[in-house]
Amino acid sequence: MRADGLFAMLDRWGRWALPGTVLLFFVLLTLAPLRAPYLSGALPLLPALVVFQFSLATPERLPGPLLLAMGILLDLLLGGPGAPVGVSALCFVLIRAAVINNRRYLVGVPFLFQWFGFCLLAWGYVVLVWFFTALWTWTAIDPAPAMMQYVVVVVIYPLLAPLLARVRARDPLNVPDGSRGTARPGETTS
Amino acid sequence: MAIRDDFEVVASQVRTVVQRFALGLLVIAAFGAMLVGKADTVLVEHARVVALDLASPVLEAIARPVAAANRAIADLKEFASLRQENARLREENARLLAWQTAARRLENENERMRELANFREGPEASFITARIVGDSVSAYVRGALLNVGLRAGAASGQAVVTGEGLAGRIAEVGENSARVLFVTDVNSRLPVLIERTRERAILAGDNSPRLRLSLLQSVAGVQRGDRIVTSGDGGSFPVGIPIGEVVETSEGSIRVRPFADFSRLEFVRVVDYGVTGLVSGGPAPLAVPTGVRVR
Repeated sequence: MRADGLFAMLDRWGRWALPGTVLLFFVLLTLAPLRAPYLSGALPLLPALVVFQFSLATPERLPGPLLLAMGILLDLLLGGPGAPVGVSALCFVLIRAAVINNRRYLVGVPFLFQWFGFCLLAWGYVVLVWFFTALWTWTAIDPAPAMMQYVVVVVIYPLLAPLLARVRARDPLNVPDGSRGTARPGETTS
Repeated sequence: MAIRDDFEVVASQVRTVVQRFALGLLVIAAFGAMLVGKADTVLVEHARVVALDLASPVLEAIARPVAAANRAIADLKEFASLRQENARLREENARLLAWQTAARRLENENERMRELANFREGPEASFITARIVGDSVSAYVRGALLNVGLRAGAASGQAVVTGEGLAGRIAEVGENSARVLFVTDVNSRLPVLIERTRERAILAGDNSPRLRLSLLQSVAGVQRGDRIVTSGDGGSFPVGIPIGEVVETSEGSIRVRPFADFSRLEFVRVVDYGVTGLVSGGPAPLAVPTGVRVR
């Protein structure tokens, strides 16, 4: 059923590689010396936003092992002596699982619901990272900057999410290729 | 054939199990990474350095346009207050010229005194100028990435200074990159001197913009506006690099504002003082010609 020209192949590859590439870009952007107040502090949460948004649209193109690798890379780059390496990986994997298991509440629903879902999951992310960092370094870390990060990224979400959501523009039903056309009458995407 | 079939059956069973427990396995893997990081810090440091070295060319590519944009914004802001700024600078210049005369006189006097007392000065410090290619600022870390590494002569433990004062020290170093830990980071502890009273203390960061002065002999002697400088204890930093000034002295807690403006750093100098081995425990730094500029 698939077209087999060079461009079709490139197109397919591009589609498969895009989410991972975008995620890698945001992981690297975490370190970019942006001097915008508030925004630069929230950069470390943007990869989580990307993971959330792509898990909504195309979870099969953002497989778990890739998320694991990206999370570990993010932790390695962000650094900090004694900070746990792998906590972001853990959170990415959990976000993906949470989104996949709750697709019926998050896909094909008004934007506000998605935003609300993101708020909940990002809250979990921030708390988990804070908890493990405090546990691993065994210091009482002031949670205020982490809260600030959270607020900023929640505000940024409506600006960034529609942009990332365009990835599925040619896939309106948002169904994985394998199961396309198997829906019974009356069944909606879930 | 039978073996092959068996193999395929087993393989498909394994695949089903992996798919069913994919989430569990990934979570276990993430926890495993965290535990390994806790248990084998050397391995993790090595991995960090490798990741930094790989990422730094990309970051450098991103850093330049970002720096240009930041500068343009700063320029615009300054343009508005150009006239006032000019007047202020002229006044300051006059004052500094007076200070310069005083400093020259004191320097000469000092030199003669040292000759008289047969004083041995510490090792001569040399500088490596580095560009900041990445921030590692998050809710938990205050630091930055530099585009110089072992190859340019940087070594962990060296002091990193700006024009205004001490910014931090090098925490990790790769071939062509290094990570600076700012003095404001929660892991930063510096032996310092209060310039006026010559009293020794420890200056600790806590991820906030203000530093905390601790382990003082007496809190009473410290006043607002006292300058804090490095004491050189531990041997890795030169003596007398300015760090900040005391801005708050309430009972029990003395707060220090760092001179370095961490929100506008672009270039820094890495001070090679020749005796970094004392603190870092790392390999001895390579010989560096003085005044190397690395771009």
